[in-house]
Amino acid sequence: MNKYIWAAIICSLLLMITGCGGGDSGGEEIELTWSTTSGYSPEAPTQAASEHIAGKVREFEEAYPNVELVTEIQNSNIDEAMARILEQADSGRAPDLAAIDSYLLDRYKDYLQPLDDLMKEKGMEEEDFFPFAQDVMKGEDGKIYGLYMGTDTRVMYYNTEVIDSPPETWDELIETANDIQAEGYEGIILPGGRGEGASVTTLWPLFWGQGGELVDEEGNPTFGEGENREKMLEVLETMQQAVEEGALPQRMSSYGAEGDLNEEIAGGNAAMFLGGSFQESFLKETLGDDFENWDIAPLPQMEGGEPASTSGGWTWGIFTEDQEKQKAAFDLITDTFITGEAMDALDQLPALSTLYESEDYDGTEFTEKFRESLETEANVRPSATSYRVITVEMQTALSDVIAGNKTPEEALDDAWEVANSN
Amino acid sequence: MDANNNMTINHAEKKRGSWRSSPLLWLIPLIAVLAFVFVYPIFQIVRLSFTDANLIDADFDYTINSYIRLFTLPGFYQMLSTTSFFVFFSVVFQLICGFFISLLIVQGEKFKIKGTVIVRTAVLVAWAVPGVIIGIIWNTMYNETDSGIFNYILSFIGMGPQPFLSDPLLSLLSVTIANIWRGTAFSMILIYAGLQTLPSDVIEAARIDGANAIQRLTRVILPILSPILLINLIIISIDTFNTFDMVMALTGGGPGRSTEVISLSIYNSIFNKFNMGEGTATAVVLLFINVMMTMVYLKVLGRKDK
Repeated sequence: MNKYIWAAIICSLLLMITGCGGGDSGGEEIELTWSTTSGYSPEAPTQAASEHIAGKVREFEEAYPNVELVTEIQNSNIDEAMARILEQADSGRAPDLAAIDSYLLDRYKDYLQPLDDLMKEKGMEEEDFFPFAQDVMKGEDGKIYGLYMGTDTRVMYYNTEVIDSPPETWDELIETANDIQAEGYEGIILPGGRGEGASVTTLWPLFWGQGGELVDEEGNPTFGEGENREKMLEVLETMQQAVEEGALPQRMSSYGAEGDLNEEIAGGNAAMFLGGSFQESFLKETLGDDFENWDIAPLPQMEGGEPASTSGGWTWGIFTEDQEKQKAAFDLITDTFITGEAMDALDQLPALSTLYESEDYDGTEFTEKFRESLETEANVRPSATSYRVITVEMQTALSDVIAGNKTPEEALDDAWEVANSN
Repeated sequence: MDANNNMTINHAEKKRGSWRSSPLLWLIPLIAVLAFVFVYPIFQIVRLSFTDANLIDADFDYTINSYIRLFTLPGFYQMLSTTSFFVFFSVVFQLICGFFISLLIVQGEKFKIKGTVIVRTAVLVAWAVPGVIIGIIWNTMYNETDSGIFNYILSFIGMGPQPFLSDPLLSLLSVTIANIWRGTAFSMILIYAGLQTLPSDVIEAARIDGANAIQRLTRVILPILSPILLINLIIISIDTFNTFDMVMALTGGGPGRSTEVISLSIYNSIFNKFNMGEGTATAVVLLFINVMMTMVYLKVLGRKDK
């Protein structure tokens, strides 16, 4: 009797093993893990984004019935989340697909799979993306390692009823700010405190506009030595001059993010401010009919400086080596996130320039100008690990100068001493 | 045989009894919990402070560079002086305000004045509100635009808008005042409880002996209250040294580093600059200061108590 029982158990086990290993690989159940931010998931905070992504995920699951989609929501602290994915990739435990902050993509390229063939299959060309996005996506070997989805840029918003022609240089900006104050408006308002907004909106565009480099090719800080020091010093001196001449309110030293300006904008006393493309929707919502009096212009530069802005946004990278998973992952991201419909739902600017002509992309009043900015002025922050210290120290330096706590030289020297000693 | 058995039983009972009477058995759970949630994290922080660990790379080396950098780079001594100013004035005024408010309430209750419960509740609310919310509330009051409450009031007396949060010195003063408001309630609760236990016959005796109000306060009430004041002083000092949430919400440490107290500096080093080594080295300095202050308080004030 025992013999029969053992034979039955062995047969069942064999059947199970052959059942698992056999069959057509196309119909095989696979698990696709995608690590995404909550904003790029069905749990997105806005209804439009959430409905769009949830709908597209459902469509994907219908198109790929053999793929089980496992969603991992990243930590809301972006830098911490990015560090974790890098650690996972380093130990061979990376998710199959992950949303990666665009300026950090470089750090992941050793672990990511090239996407050139998949792009070709979809009819996507590298040149369809803006030049700054191509630089981010391309590895040293010329292959594409990430797909840029939404992006943003920094501009100057101004009220056309108060300002006829927008200032192009900081000298003009200080003059205009003083003129409009006589009419009862605030001067120029901008993020000048401790926060990333101060770096990307106020500091870097002025520094890059003069050809300044924050780090060298090895990622070591360079902003405080040689010609770079002169350029950075000029930026801080301009801020000091703007405060001393009454064009820039001292309280800007406590505004670290672009959003910190919103309260003043809503108050109605601001006639111009430096901010991000993402503030357009706030402006529209808050100002109502008065919004039609507002326009945007490139960020004012130093005398002789080139136009420059900062762009951010997110990319997608594929870690899995399994080709079937790669194809499914690529379809998921291109159909869900790299479409005109997606950009409208997510209220973002496409990094794929061809999407601006797409029928399913509506855009906004300023879309064309934002597009021009992305095409001609956009820069991306360096992905070097030293960047965190550089940005924190320079935000502090800017805040100190605007508050009148330190001279530009003292502030820059202190920032350089800390950043260079890491 | 029976005698032997009895001896063995007695011996076992004695052994069991000695275990039963030993407090060790009862302390084991507490020791285990303390070791897990207190000793081990401190050990890890001290260990990490001797490394160059950061939040980006998993690898790190052991080094004392974090301490060398901390003590030699710009910012450390400013942070210490900022923290000293913040802690000293917060503690002194929390103690004074807490004492006088509780004294007023006790006197009010004595004379059956209406509204003492409302005052007590109102002060307690400040203690119950989370630090982040307090930071936001005071931020609204200190707002430097026309919508700022203090600046609006000041405009009536022609004092114009004051840079409460963007002037380096004024911002530190603003943060300290907000913290005094927040912490006064805790001092009030402790001192109020202490005042309730004051023996009325001793005060009455002092009165009969001819002691006036100030003499009764300084020679009778304060000495009796000193153990409570000591505990209060230790708690609010450590609490103020560790204040992070309210300052973060109110100024974020700015402008520049004008309001960056030690605990905020730890946060910035670890979560903004990703420098775990430097952040934990600063945490060890904070731990050292807290321990030293507690020991000094116990030595100086505790001796009087004996």
